[in-house]
Amino acid sequence: MHEPMTVRSLTTRPVVTLGGDAVAQVKDTVLDAGAGHVTGFTLSGRGLLSGALKRALPWPAVHSLGHDAVMIRDLRDLTPAAVVMAGGEALRSRVLGARVVTDAGTEVGTVLDVVVEGGTGGRVVGFRIAARKAFVPGSRHRRRRVYVPRGETLDVCGRTLVIPAETARRAAEDLRDLAARLGVSHAARKGPLP
Amino acid sequence: MLFSRLVGLPVVSLAGGAELGVVRSPVLDAGSGLVTHLRIRGRLRPARKETVLAWDAVHAVGPEAVLVRSAVRSPVPPPRLDVLGRRVLTETGDERGTVLDVVFDPSTGRVLALFTTHGELPAHRLLGLGDYALVVRAV
Repeated sequence: MHEPMTVRSLTTRPVVTLGGDAVAQVKDTVLDAGAGHVTGFTLSGRGLLSGALKRALPWPAVHSLGHDAVMIRDLRDLTPAAVVMAGGEALRSRVLGARVVTDAGTEVGTVLDVVVEGGTGGRVVGFRIAARKAFVPGSRHRRRRVYVPRGETLDVCGRTLVIPAETARRAAEDLRDLAARLGVSHAARKGPLP
Repeated sequence: MLFSRLVGLPVVSLAGGAELGVVRSPVLDAGSGLVTHLRIRGRLRPARKETVLAWDAVHAVGPEAVLVRSAVRSPVPPPRLDVLGRRVLTETGDERGTVLDVVFDPSTGRVLALFTTHGELPAHRLLGLGDYALVVRAV
C-alpha cells in the first residue's frame, strides 16, 4: 500500500501530465456513495483568479496520486465535470461533518477529513474524526482529533457512518500512527532518489 | 560535457569565422534524451535578440567555442523550457529536488546523466520536460 493522505490536503495539488506540464489543480475530491473509493477530482485553473474548470479528472485517468502532484497521462483524459460527479458526490457535500457511530451504538464523533491511499489504488483507508469526550478519555483540554481506520465494512445511512466497534478501538493519534496500524511505512518526506 | 560549461560559449560559424553570439541555453527533448536545439544570444547591442539553432547545424563543441556549419535558423522554435533549475517529479507524483546540471556527449548531443539536488539520475529515466517539472521514471 502507498502513503496515506488526507483528502483536504489534496485541494490545490497540481495536476501534471507525464510530459511535465501542469494543466490544472485539484478543487475537490469525489467519493463513491459508500465512501470506499475516490471516483475522481473536480478541477480549477492554476492561476490565482482562475475559477472552476468545466472538465474534471475521472479516477481511471490518474496515473498516480503522489505526495506533491496528481500525475495524469494525457490532457485528453479529462472528461466533462458532470460525468465524474454522476456516480458519486463531492467530499464537502456529505461526508464532511457526518456522524460516526459504531455498530454497538456508541457515538464516536464527526468526520473532519477522509484519508485515502496514494498511488494507483484510490481506496479510502480511514477518517479523521473530532471524537466525543467519552470516546477518547483524558484531559478536558486535550484536542480529541483521532484517525480511525475505515475497515472492510462500513454502512452509510444518510449522514451517518457506521463502523465496526473493533476498528473504532484501533483509533490512531496521527497519520503516521494510522499508517503503522494499516501496515504501511509512512514514506519519509526527504531522501535519496528511489 | 556539462550544460553549465556549454552555456556562455561563443558560437562561431565555420564559413568565414564570424561569431554569431553566445550559447544561452541548450534545449533538451526528454523523450529521446537528445539536445535538439541551442538558444543563442547575440553579443552586439543592436543584435542582442535570441535565435535558435538546430543541433544538426553544429559541427563541433569544443572547450572554447561551438563551431556551426551554417547560420540557418530553426524553422519551428522549440518551447522555452530551461532544464537547469527545473523541479524534478517522479511519475508517482513525488518531488525529488531540482536539476543542477546535465552531462551530455558533445559529439552526438545525447544526454548521459543528470545531477539533481537529490543525487544523480541516469538519462534513461527521463520521461518528459514541461512547464511545471521534469518527470522521471520511478524505479
